[in-house]
Amino acid sequence: MGSIQLDHLTKRFGETVAVEDVTLDIADSEFLVLVGPSGCGKSTTLRMLAGLETPTAGDLYIAGEHMNYRVPQNRDIAMVFQDYALYPHMTIHENVRFGLEEEAGYTDSEMDERVEEVAETLGIDDLLDRKPGELSGGQQQRVALGRAIVRDPEVFLMDEPLANLDAKLRAKMRTELQRLQADLDVTTVYVTHNQTEAMTMGDRIAVLNDGQLQQVGEPLELYHEPANQFVAGFIGEPMMNFLHGNRADAGFVGEHIEYPFDERLERAVDGVDDLVLGVRPEAVDVRRADESSAPNLGPHEFEMTVSVTETHGDQNILSLTHAAESVDHDVLRAVTDGMHIVKPGEPVTVAIDPETIHVFDGKTGKTICNRRIETARELTI
Amino acid sequence: MATHDTTEATDSTTGPSKEVVTWKTKLRYFLNSDFVRSSPYWGIPFVLMGIAVYGGIGYNLAISFTDYAGIGRPEFSNLSLEMYRTALADGSFRQAAFQNFVLLVGFTSVSLALGLFLAVLLDYGIRYKETIQTIYLLPMALSFVVTAQVWLWMYSPGNGVLNVFVTALGFGSIDWLGNPRIALAAVIFALVWQFSGYAMVVFLAGLQSLPSDQFEAAKVDGASTAKTYIRIIIPQLKQASVGAAVVLMLFALKAFDFLYAITGDYRPPNGTDILATLMVREAFQYGQWAYGAAIATMLLLLSLSVIAPYLVYQYRQGAL
Repeated sequence: MGSIQLDHLTKRFGETVAVEDVTLDIADSEFLVLVGPSGCGKSTTLRMLAGLETPTAGDLYIAGEHMNYRVPQNRDIAMVFQDYALYPHMTIHENVRFGLEEEAGYTDSEMDERVEEVAETLGIDDLLDRKPGELSGGQQQRVALGRAIVRDPEVFLMDEPLANLDAKLRAKMRTELQRLQADLDVTTVYVTHNQTEAMTMGDRIAVLNDGQLQQVGEPLELYHEPANQFVAGFIGEPMMNFLHGNRADAGFVGEHIEYPFDERLERAVDGVDDLVLGVRPEAVDVRRADESSAPNLGPHEFEMTVSVTETHGDQNILSLTHAAESVDHDVLRAVTDGMHIVKPGEPVTVAIDPETIHVFDGKTGKTICNRRIETARELTI
Repeated sequence: MATHDTTEATDSTTGPSKEVVTWKTKLRYFLNSDFVRSSPYWGIPFVLMGIAVYGGIGYNLAISFTDYAGIGRPEFSNLSLEMYRTALADGSFRQAAFQNFVLLVGFTSVSLALGLFLAVLLDYGIRYKETIQTIYLLPMALSFVVTAQVWLWMYSPGNGVLNVFVTALGFGSIDWLGNPRIALAAVIFALVWQFSGYAMVVFLAGLQSLPSDQFEAAKVDGASTAKTYIRIIIPQLKQASVGAAVVLMLFALKAFDFLYAITGDYRPPNGTDILATLMVREAFQYGQWAYGAAIATMLLLLSLSVIAPYLVYQYRQGAL
């Protein structure tokens, strides 16, 4: 039963607080991704789980047992390091076998059998006699995985294992890791700074910033219902658009845009004055500006000019500047279909449906209201 | 016809002149090459080394084939290996060679072991690490003569420091350097004191170059600290060990200074005679130049047999 409980876990290094009051429950066999920018405390949290750091305060339980002061050797865990940490003077076979030697209940031949079994699963069985220095990055990473798998632990800990791989290999390994984890049915805690990995791989995602837990939930929950502005901005590529401004009579007045509120937004925003409106780029509707429609813009439509077009093949990312001003910086980014080609410099009409607006408190960053999702039709959370 | 003539004319003129240009150009390239242009710089030490060191070695070798002794000049008419034969048959030579070997092996292995132990302790992380490192390394800064004098006092049978302890414990005072059976051990101990700091520094550098996540991976894999050191860390120090061992062995071969300084004359304490001291004694005290030269050559061969495998190993590794 490899369930994990983090209870008000805190880690201080002298004056710096690396991890602050993190409380998190991880179910058995769950794939949890710890994600956040560099320095947010995710690696430190992982290392506390491994036993390589001792918590300053709080409690840590793995499989129901209190683990704060237990050495890594006595926790039934396996870890995959970012730099793989393979032993360079030993062959791959010996590297993978090393962890087994401390496990009870294996005879020598059983150990060898198990090593070969795991090597076959990972496709490295023909590399067993080589040394780590002779292998490519992808192969080394599989050996590191093999070393973790062979011990059949309660928990897998992975510290940015895909960070050193090239993009194609990373994408391939993402799928393989997911499949592997599902097959082995082991609780996995995976640390990454890459939000794509987090979204695609995790059963649940825990977002950390500055040592504090921002939100825990399923990927789509974090995507559509972020708890604060940080999570909203961190999850989702390209990043959510943020418009800073203040409450006005009709709705919202920002630097470049006046946005009237509908009933839902009015009710939610209530008395707050300092606001940030958030809208995801794919929710921004972009149409070629028609000469005739110029005076007839709807309440949620704006005239803008395309400043930069990024072609991705399947989609285009447009950076939009406000038409009326000669401002250098872009106000919004929009995502359009790959076939919908708009050139830089073209005037466009931009429409933002109020149903897709998220509102955040300008001072605290907390979410005041999230976009409306039609759960029955669009998606199930 | 006109064209014919000109072609021929051109052929005959450019033919041989092409050759002339070629060797001249080659000469020019040669004279401009790095090798030649740098020759004044390496030339001088080369000549000096050639005369002083290699010439000396060569002359020494030549003398060893004669029977030069006492005053006068060596006779190169009757060259033979007689000196070598005498040496190999001589009991005191064999004893000195044996003791030399014991010194070499004993000193090197104890220094390496102690150096490794100290390096592991320091790497593990203790306070005042730099201070302790410096303290261990300081003896190397001393000259052999100073070390010899210090240990002479330490080992002094009457009131040397060691004997003060020994008598305090109730035993009789031990004549460390006078007793042939333990004198060599005492000498080795003093030399280890002086040089294990070097081994420590080399091992420490090696230890610190190992990525720390290997330690961590081994911990997570379940290995105890001892097992981690024995199975993971120390095997990766092979390169460092070999380098340190070679240097230590060369120091051991130079132990002459220390032994000479202990006694102040040509005969080191009983039981500590080594090839170098024997050679100096035979040559400069007894005037047996050829015999001394033969011993010197054999000592050179011994040194080469220590360093040559190392050089071959380095060459194979591509580091040479």
